[in-house]
Amino acid sequence: MGFLHNNIGYYLKEVKTLVKRDISSNLLSVISLAFIFFILALVFSLGLSSNFMITQIEEQAEISIYYTEDANLDSLIEDLRLIPGVTDVIPVDEMTAKEEMTQILGSESRIVDLFDHNPFSPYLDVAIQLESVDAISEMAATINGVEQVRDNKEVLQKLQEISGIIRIIGLFILLSVSIATLVITSHLIRQGVYLNRDSIGTLKLLGAPDGFIYRPFLVNGILTSLLAGLLSLVMTYFSTSYLYKQLSGSLPFIVLPSFSEHMSTLILYTLFLSILLGIFGGLMGIKSTKPKNN
Amino acid sequence: MIIAKNLSLRYKDGTYGLEDVNINITPGEIVYITGQSGSGKTSFIKLLLGMERPSSGELFVLGNSMDKISEKELRNLRQQIGPVFQDFKLLDGRTVNENVLVGMRFLAIKKEEMYERALKSLEKVGLSHKVHSSVENLSYGERQRVAIARSVARNPKLIIADEPTGNLDKKNSLIILELLKSFRGPETTVIITTHATHLIHDEKDCIHIQVDDGKMTLKEVSHGISS
Repeated sequence: MGFLHNNIGYYLKEVKTLVKRDISSNLLSVISLAFIFFILALVFSLGLSSNFMITQIEEQAEISIYYTEDANLDSLIEDLRLIPGVTDVIPVDEMTAKEEMTQILGSESRIVDLFDHNPFSPYLDVAIQLESVDAISEMAATINGVEQVRDNKEVLQKLQEISGIIRIIGLFILLSVSIATLVITSHLIRQGVYLNRDSIGTLKLLGAPDGFIYRPFLVNGILTSLLAGLLSLVMTYFSTSYLYKQLSGSLPFIVLPSFSEHMSTLILYTLFLSILLGIFGGLMGIKSTKPKNN
Repeated sequence: MIIAKNLSLRYKDGTYGLEDVNINITPGEIVYITGQSGSGKTSFIKLLLGMERPSSGELFVLGNSMDKISEKELRNLRQQIGPVFQDFKLLDGRTVNENVLVGMRFLAIKKEEMYERALKSLEKVGLSHKVHSSVENLSYGERQRVAIARSVARNPKLIIADEPTGNLDKKNSLIILELLKSFRGPETTVIITTHATHLIHDEKDCIHIQVDDGKMTLKEVSHGISS
């Protein structure tokens, strides 16, 4: 392995020769892999966003309790605080309820101003531990003066279901992408080995070890996959940035992770996966072409 | 260095490439193996390089038994041999220097020494002015000299040239033969196969082996007179 360090320049030069010898196959492989990685990056993106949303909702788990006009607010708050799992109770008056909705609706908030009077009722914002949501809702409903208990359990369950589906679809896509990448990369390498079979034969007759002979082909596989990964990230950057702009304008209540944080995670995942698949694809291609005799 | 005892090479179709060969070549010799095309010269070279295994008998090359040699031992053996092929087997798309260097890149040689050896061997074969030329742009004679430079830069114990004059005119053939002979050393044996026996008529201080229909005959051993 002592010659590995000495020959890095040689390997890269050999990769250049390999690519030049079969430029169309290399180019088409990079383009097709880039589109495959792009689909994967979009699924990653969807998965990351839904996970983020669920975490946000879980962290801010709360229920809203609406009370009757004749209810004693202080005693009601006191009773609610005694329920196990309740961490805080904050009264929200009519005006604050209206302001909150105005904020959520964003540019569409003018609809609220169309009402002659404030249509929102005062309520109690009860912060809870998420795992106790069912018990708390049941107990709260039995307290005197409580008119309605509204929790976001259904929304949360729906989101969890969607997230689960996205995760399953994501796994299938990951599997498909992996297989497609392995097939394309290994085919590219196999073709490269075939086109260079005379040179390989000569190197074998000179006593070159397999590691030395096949390393440029492996590097070719890794670089092809990595380049495709980088291209897919450029496409993902523009499409995600467009989606973020669209969502923040028309659906402001959808909570998304910060764009830079989101892209950093995507870059990390995509590059790691492209290098890993490039290595395996390259090794597969080499293994399938290696002659058994000398 | 090379010992063959009752060595035979029989191909799958039943024909013999070599039959019952017995020879002993010691270090520092120049050996000419002559014979018509298809007589068995290349079969012998293939056996020496481990491209074929003996069908029967024994063949020892640099201490390695060629019928029992492992893949790793074969690799090590090939690293001690400097082969020169009739079709040169140069790597296309690379320069003269890159072709010489590639034969050393996997040997235990420091980078600086490797570059120095490449330049020296190219000087010896008279191609130091074409170091950066692409091998595709060279004449047949020049390509053969690059192949020789690649072979000798490795400081091999055994130089094997299979029909090195096959594609050359008489003048260039003689130049190549002289060049190959110049690399003979106390520990370095040079084996040259050729069908052009007229080129070696006046050769002295060498071993001449005649191959005919797979049978090797020691035709002449002349020592002590320098050519």
